[in-house]
Amino acid sequence: MEPYELSVADAAVAVRTRQLSPVELVDSVLERIERVEPRLRAYTLVTADHARSAARRAALEVAADGVRGPLHGIPAGLKDLIDVAGMATTASSRVRADHRAEADSAVAARLSAAGAAFVGKTHTHEFAYGLTTPQTSNAWDQGRVAGGSSGGSAVAVAAGAAAFALGTDTGGSIRVPAALNGVVGLKPTYGLVSRHGITALAWSLDHVGPITRTVEDAALVLGALVGHDPRDPASVPAPSVDYRPGPGTDLTGLRIGVPGNYYFDRVDSEVEAAVRHAIGRLEALGARLVEVEIPMTRYIQATQWGLMVPEATAYHERTLRTVPELYAADVRVLLEAGELMTAGDYLRAQRARTLMRQAWQRMLDTVDMVAAPTVPLTAVKAGQSSVTWDDGTEESVSDAYVRLSAPASITGVPSLTLPVGQDSAGMPIGMQLMGRTLGEAALLRAGHAYERTGTARGLAPVP
Amino acid sequence: MSAAELTPPEAARWAARSGLPLPPERHSAVAATADHILSVVSVLRELDFGDTPPSAAYRACAGEERHDGAV
Repeated sequence: MEPYELSVADAAVAVRTRQLSPVELVDSVLERIERVEPRLRAYTLVTADHARSAARRAALEVAADGVRGPLHGIPAGLKDLIDVAGMATTASSRVRADHRAEADSAVAARLSAAGAAFVGKTHTHEFAYGLTTPQTSNAWDQGRVAGGSSGGSAVAVAAGAAAFALGTDTGGSIRVPAALNGVVGLKPTYGLVSRHGITALAWSLDHVGPITRTVEDAALVLGALVGHDPRDPASVPAPSVDYRPGPGTDLTGLRIGVPGNYYFDRVDSEVEAAVRHAIGRLEALGARLVEVEIPMTRYIQATQWGLMVPEATAYHERTLRTVPELYAADVRVLLEAGELMTAGDYLRAQRARTLMRQAWQRMLDTVDMVAAPTVPLTAVKAGQSSVTWDDGTEESVSDAYVRLSAPASITGVPSLTLPVGQDSAGMPIGMQLMGRTLGEAALLRAGHAYERTGTARGLAPVP
Repeated sequence: MSAAELTPPEAARWAARSGLPLPPERHSAVAATADHILSVVSVLRELDFGDTPPSAAYRACAGEERHDGAV
């Protein structure tokens, strides 16, 4: 096994026990990037010098004082909305061609303090405003979409071109690409991880979180990211929780909600079968399944758009007037049309969110978490713009990809996606576990128990 | 086109009133996209909000809703 194939947890053990130097680990990942990047285009910028210097520093520190923690010397990718001092934050946009970040974002500073080595900035759908990330190819089939908007991060992790990466999620942008590339993605509770120094899409919906190859790795990265930050108005104090799941797989007593509506409607039959099979495994591990009704489903898309569209337009107000021609066509027209929304539209969406949060809290009083598909269909071929469902309805690919992930973004509850199989074309299928506010530890425990039943597929076989 | 749909000149006028002058070649696409957005969000008018406050930015403290909406 090459070092780039190691999970964060296994690499951390190898570094701690001096079986592997951070320099060897980072070099291995940089070589892997060099090999797969021409096919995948996951990165906007590979920061080899930065990573090697962090690795050398980590090697000296480990030799002198031992490891700081599980991320010491571990190679990481950062979605290119996340500021690192001295580097451009391009947001995969020509609008940001001359950008240079003056300071580290809160998450970059936390990961640096934990000893992580940044191997590069990963592609996003331009300014995170889309679900495909067209610059990047899916790690499992280069003719298919990466998913988005954190497409580069998910593809890099799936291909071994980063041990872990960070993504951001406004309507599903961590979970969608994670599901489509067969990796784990965690959208934490709104406010649990600081967004200071991260380019916004929509302030009241934006989250940042880890994309990893295992659930245990997501727990390790989350542990390094949490903490109150007064510079983020949504920031909440971190609960005193050890996110790392224990070795046990007994889920006796856990109540898992299985939606009777919404989450299995207009879902590909192979996706539904894989997710129901995975839910059956959770039951076999001792969990009790409880049917739940998802509230206010008629208003999910309206609330998501009513919040996101005017907030995104507000963020881009200045550059939409000075350099509109530098935006990609799909993003530009959404930003322009957002100017035509009224304050009434926006306030209705905010009030609808209040009602939806209350209704979700009532539902989550009856179960510990809800299990459901992450996306209703696997990665489509690049260029496919719509899907026709069995009931004859047609839906845009973007609307389909965001449909099942939007509720956790709107309500702010944590959601963990993990791979639960593949369709007949070999494309990965994801299941999401949505929990109570600040209930990440329970999701990670259940996801880890599922994973321990032997579901890992390993790296994407990029030629 | 129904009476409720925006014409391209109307879209241009609304955008201009928001401080965004649109070149003529943008009018049709912006009108169509704005119409689509409105068709999605207008369903919220069905809800009776009563005294429900907005949640402009909120803190997700366990089990309680703290509204920070400075409206």
